Amino acid sequence: MADTPLILTDEFKQHVRELAKFVEEGDVEETDRILDKIARLRESTLFQELGKLTREFHNALNSFRLDSRIVSMTEQDFPDARERLRYVVQMTAQSADRSLTAAEEAMPIVSNIEDQAKSLESQWGRFMQRDMSAEEFRQLSSELGGFLGELSSSSEKLKERMTEVVMAQDFQDLTGQIIERVITLVDDMERSLVDLIRISGQNMATQEVVGGEKEKTKEDHLKGVGPAVPGVDEASGLVSGQDEVDDLLSSLGF
Amino acid sequence: MKILVVDDFSTMRRIIKNLLRDLGFNNTAEADDGLTALPMLQAGNFDLLITDWNMPGMQGIDLLKAVRADPKLAKMPVMMVTAEQKKEQIIEAAKAGVNGYIVKPFTAATLKEKLEKIFERVG
Repeated sequence: MADTPLILTDEFKQHVRELAKFVEEGDVEETDRILDKIARLRESTLFQELGKLTREFHNALNSFRLDSRIVSMTEQDFPDARERLRYVVQMTAQSADRSLTAAEEAMPIVSNIEDQAKSLESQWGRFMQRDMSAEEFRQLSSELGGFLGELSSSSEKLKERMTEVVMAQDFQDLTGQIIERVITLVDDMERSLVDLIRISGQNMATQEVVGGEKEKTKEDHLKGVGPAVPGVDEASGLVSGQDEVDDLLSSLGF
Repeated sequence: MKILVVDDFSTMRRIIKNLLRDLGFNNTAEADDGLTALPMLQAGNFDLLITDWNMPGMQGIDLLKAVRADPKLAKMPVMMVTAEQKKEQIIEAAKAGVNGYIVKPFTAATLKEKLEKIFERVG
């Protein structure tokens, strides 16, 4: 109803018919009265228009508020998120370094135990087969004694390294929380953008925004993109593991 | 056997170096992308190149192509160890003359198997 133009309303048509009649009859008084009515009708339409404008203005203000939220996101939250994610990279790298260092330190300890145990085992085998002189046995006993002592101190060191590996995993809790926060921020941003588009961009909604993405992927398909994230990257065109890589390569004659 | 390990993440280089050491390859060197790797390859007598794909500067695939284009290096076996798992990428690497392709995350056994395969072929 509000959208029907004034001159098409029944009320207006009725007034016009009456106006024509009174003008024809030369009735000045009645003609004036009808003209007044039409003017009032126009006024009320004006108020309706004003109401519409007010609503649009209100919406625009709302969208402006959303706008400023987006501005604050881009000015503060996103740089903040970037720092947070850098911190995650830093922490995970630190943890990997700690674990690797501990493992690298443990490796020679284990190798040493292994070497000594192998040598003692073969000597022990000879002793069990009575293929050993008394002098050699004395030597073996003292080596065994030394080995057992070393074994207990090596075990102590290995335990320390393993504890270090365990402790190096403490980053997961922290990085997990940081990443959760960034996900929340991205969610907020997405919602704000969607709202903004709904409020201010209704006319643009139908415009084509597809196509650009496809072209980009085609162009960039040989650039490295990093690991595929399950549920994010589409599975087609991806191999799902080493076996599929091997299959693909062997189908190419490798 | 001298091996160059190219990856932009130092932890990945360390992991690969540790695995190589376990397999008995102690003579390794590291580079963090193709641009630093290429002059090292041209200067040193490397027998094998193990490279990541996605790196700043020069990517692994471009390093592979550069190696194949260099008459001195053209015959060097090249193995890719990468998180890139698009079929077209693997095909591209194969076309460029890669000798092995391992997707991350990988196991020590996979690395061993692929290395053995390369040496078997190279003789």
